[in-house]
Amino acid sequence: MQRIGVFVCWCGTNIAGTVDIDQVKQAAEKIPGVVNVQDYQYMCSEVGQNLIKNAIKEQKLDRVVIASCSPRMHEATFRKAAKSAGLNPYLVEIANIREQCSWVHKNKEEATEKAIALVRAAVAKATLNTELVPGEIGVEPRALEIGGGIAGIQTALDIAEAGYKVDIIEKTPSIGGKMAQIDKTFPTLDCSACILTPKMVDASTHPNINLYTYSEVEAVQGYVGNFEVTIRQKARSVNADKCTGCGICTDKCPSKKAESEFDEGLRKRGAIYIPFPQAVPNVPVIDREECLKFKTGKCGLCERVCPSGAIEFNQEDTLVTQKYGAIVVATGYDLINLDKFGEYPYTEHPDVITSLEFERLTSAAGPTAGKFLRPSNGNKPKKVVFVQCVGSRDKSSRGKTYCSKICCMYTAKHAMLIKEKYPEIEVYVFYIDVRTPGKNFDEFQRRAVEEYGVNYIKGMVGKVFPEGDKLQVHGVDALSSETLIIDADMVVLAAATKAKDDAQELGRKLSISTDANNFFTEAHPKLRPVETHSAGIYLAGACQGPKDIPETVAQSSAAAAKAIGLLNKGKLVNNPCVSQVDEQICSGCLACTKMCPYEAISSQVIEVKEQGKIVKKTVAHVNEALCQGCGGCTVTCRAGALDLKGFMNRQILAEVDAICL
Amino acid sequence: MSLENKQISSENTSNFKPLIVAFCCNWCSYAGADLAGTSRLNYPANVKIIKVPCSCRVNPNFVLRAFQRGADGVVIAGCHPGDCHYTSGNYYTRRRFTLMKNLLEYVGLEPERFKVDWISAGEGNKFAAVMNEALEQVHKLGPNRKLRDARWKR
Amino acid sequence: MEKIANKVRETARLALANGEVNKILGWKKGDFWYDSYPAFITEEEGTASLIWDSFCVANLSKYLIEQLKEDIKVGVFLKGCDARAFNQLLKDNRVDRDKVVIYGLPCPGMIDPEKVKKAGLAKGLLDVQKSEDEVVFITKEGEQKFSAREFAYDKCLTCQYPNPVVYDELLAEEVERNNTTEYFYQDVEEIEKMSPDERFAYWVEQFSKCIRCNACRNVCPACSCEKCIFDNSKANVAGKAKVDSEEQFFHIVRAYHVAGRCVDCGECSRVCPVGIPLAKLNRKIIKDITEFYGEHNAGVNPSLDAPLETFKLEDIDPFETRAKGGK
Repeated sequence: MQRIGVFVCWCGTNIAGTVDIDQVKQAAEKIPGVVNVQDYQYMCSEVGQNLIKNAIKEQKLDRVVIASCSPRMHEATFRKAAKSAGLNPYLVEIANIREQCSWVHKNKEEATEKAIALVRAAVAKATLNTELVPGEIGVEPRALEIGGGIAGIQTALDIAEAGYKVDIIEKTPSIGGKMAQIDKTFPTLDCSACILTPKMVDASTHPNINLYTYSEVEAVQGYVGNFEVTIRQKARSVNADKCTGCGICTDKCPSKKAESEFDEGLRKRGAIYIPFPQAVPNVPVIDREECLKFKTGKCGLCERVCPSGAIEFNQEDTLVTQKYGAIVVATGYDLINLDKFGEYPYTEHPDVITSLEFERLTSAAGPTAGKFLRPSNGNKPKKVVFVQCVGSRDKSSRGKTYCSKICCMYTAKHAMLIKEKYPEIEVYVFYIDVRTPGKNFDEFQRRAVEEYGVNYIKGMVGKVFPEGDKLQVHGVDALSSETLIIDADMVVLAAATKAKDDAQELGRKLSISTDANNFFTEAHPKLRPVETHSAGIYLAGACQGPKDIPETVAQSSAAAAKAIGLLNKGKLVNNPCVSQVDEQICSGCLACTKMCPYEAISSQVIEVKEQGKIVKKTVAHVNEALCQGCGGCTVTCRAGALDLKGFMNRQILAEVDAICL
Repeated sequence: MSLENKQISSENTSNFKPLIVAFCCNWCSYAGADLAGTSRLNYPANVKIIKVPCSCRVNPNFVLRAFQRGADGVVIAGCHPGDCHYTSGNYYTRRRFTLMKNLLEYVGLEPERFKVDWISAGEGNKFAAVMNEALEQVHKLGPNRKLRDARWKR
Repeated sequence: MEKIANKVRETARLALANGEVNKILGWKKGDFWYDSYPAFITEEEGTASLIWDSFCVANLSKYLIEQLKEDIKVGVFLKGCDARAFNQLLKDNRVDRDKVVIYGLPCPGMIDPEKVKKAGLAKGLLDVQKSEDEVVFITKEGEQKFSAREFAYDKCLTCQYPNPVVYDELLAEEVERNNTTEYFYQDVEEIEKMSPDERFAYWVEQFSKCIRCNACRNVCPACSCEKCIFDNSKANVAGKAKVDSEEQFFHIVRAYHVAGRCVDCGECSRVCPVGIPLAKLNRKIIKDITEFYGEHNAGVNPSLDAPLETFKLEDIDPFETRAKGGK
């Protein structure tokens, strides 16, 4: 017979207020195998833990059940306490009588009855618990950074500085991301490129950082400390080692029809192109959809003019597989498509632009060399209208329900940038609310209104009609209920931010979850904001939710700290709750090998004695380092030859029986 | 009707206290249940939770055993498809129990007595709502006699 | 059929004579007119006792598991449904294809003795002869002719694979059988139409007849575990008491365990000594699999994934009550 100790926690009045502790204790004492029952106000406190430790030693307890808060809260605490008293930590079971009992039920009698049932189930399970010893796994001292925007660059630099190797995978031909497209940054109005480009150069020259630009994640295998990632390096058609970045090829390219992604389509680029002058690496790429050589077989001009013979039309995608201990996801965001917002003729009228296009128009390196001109006719606008929340805080299916967070601030910035250069231009901003929390943020926005005379109008724009060479903006001032008609020259739309379209696909490859809006989900909204539910995978930047630059950088350094902490451990303890095979019962059908998500089950041939003869027999074999303990195989196994340590068939059935008493 | 079923029907049903056994996956639904707790969302005490690492750990045997032992309803809750901590466990759950639920209904169990649902760690509301709904429906149906072992006294 | 029976005997004799196989697995005549027994023959002369008639219904493939434990090569006669069973055993790693020589027998359908008895034709019966469409009952008084369909097993009436799907040698020309007129899932739909209480009453009555003899399990080509979970005391579900709930537990789990693996040979129903229509449970699952995941005929193509060992992201989801995020 087991010697089980039951410890009932009051959690102050959190449990004791709704659950009759004495009744729980009395009921626990009657359960076969229970030899010691105690209660305490805060079992997780040092006094409470000592109570448990002493009881283990003095009463020679071989199983411990703690009726307290959720095991997600303090299971680790109590296991540690048991271990220090010489008891295998896996002989501890928790009955969750707070989150799943006292906090959700009001009736004391019913809550007490349920608490007793939960204690009974935990004792029933604990009775069948066995000692489990976790194994050790190594940690590959190298991190992978997915995404080469400011989040990725910051994280990579931090990790590299700590002395670990980092690889950055960037989908586009250059690192830099959205921040590289931005002209000035709020709330300081300093030049975005001036603070970003040095970091880009640092990343490319750091001895610990390796860039995979124009590359994507093909497949991810493995687990924390030992991820195995296959990277697809798309064919650049230019040999990066030979290329000097002289740019002759991009000048001479006769095809100039493609829209520059970097300039948001406001400028054309060649089929062979460098995304922007400060690109890192400064190596062009051939857009095979546009290139005449690829389309017609003729041309090849770039190859002829290249002084270093770097053009390679026959390049193919290459796959690289690399091991990593930690992965940081920093894939960023995009703006939503505005096709469905017919009230603003964005798709039809060149003078209706998005905020990101505005950034390019005001940038000194942009298509107008920083002169603020109407895309339709190149004239200077007289009136500009900004529309906020285009698709943000929008409950209809075309928009996003959430606040995009950055628009209020960048619109104030845009308005100020216009007023700074051209004080005579009238600027109007239609908004639902102005949301500017953040250090020096509200002051910044107020300056736009108070110092620069930007007209803020609380209300939405109903429709924008092209009228001659003007854009007639029909809006409502919600404060005066007046209908406003503004003859604008340009309309700038604060399009909602959205998660990357391929976020779910990447999430699936990494086994990390996405929320209803396809942003990656953090492990805990408050306490584990940069971790995911998959150990060893961290989040940085706007891929987790809309974020501005300061927040992104802070989160990136946080993710880096987490990754460094992991890499620094060198060794990890793995989960001992893994599947095991009863070779006597296993028939060798190997159905389990097919369903295992981790390919942790293989087959092996063993010799068994059958009716006095030694015969060979095929059975399943679990690789404990690969098994993550989901237990799916135990259900695939009809005979019950596979069982999951810590959650054995017998244990769960015993819990069912105990709950149904 | 067999002898043992007659025995159960003679029990007093006026103070019917239904029992719902809920198997919740550790990563999503158990955390969702915890969130219902931290948010102080109410649901009846008749719902009792058993933690499993993944919904794919739930063997149909466990469900049948719960009914055998007098559960009036059984719920399996796991991560939303696509969100499984173990990548694909809940996709297997979905197939297995799509067939199993139909089979149980084929042998006469009322559909309301056995449910599978996807509840994320952030859906404390949904957890409470699913449990309340399950309980309400089971309450309407009355005590379960089907698949139940009359020798087991609850 | 007699012509083919001769070929069966000759094939078996030759195979043993030239050492192609060490043992032959076939049928021999039983004690009654409707009986056939499995025959295990190692000597040439023994092959004379082999038969092939309208009562060779027993599926011989499952005997291979035991037979192949010896290091020998076995020749076996398999009908259409038996061959699917063989493939299922192959998929479950229970037989070694290299140690088996399969003699395929296209099957014209077998006669159900129970139907003959019910029709009152069993008395004084000397012989039963069956051609493709007709069956002739011969007694002292003379002959009586009937349509063969009238006395065929229910499972033969809906059989879609009368020709072996795997063989080394085919002993007769493939038969054509068009069963599309008979609606395939009629038996299942009859039960589906009932109310939950009616369905429960129906199955309780059926299951309560169960004597836990395990004939269904022993005959089933998908039930091939070395140790069944119901015999495994560690699994803690081995209840065998004569109470409704344990019978229900057993039969529900048995049906679930063969889900996606049942070759629909109907042997479980046939061998049940108390007449529980067990195949109706299996066929319900086959119907659901077909509806939800597309047609999957277990044992026809063993390289296909079993429905419960795989999934698709876009599988139907009958469970979701509220979309994620409450949308």
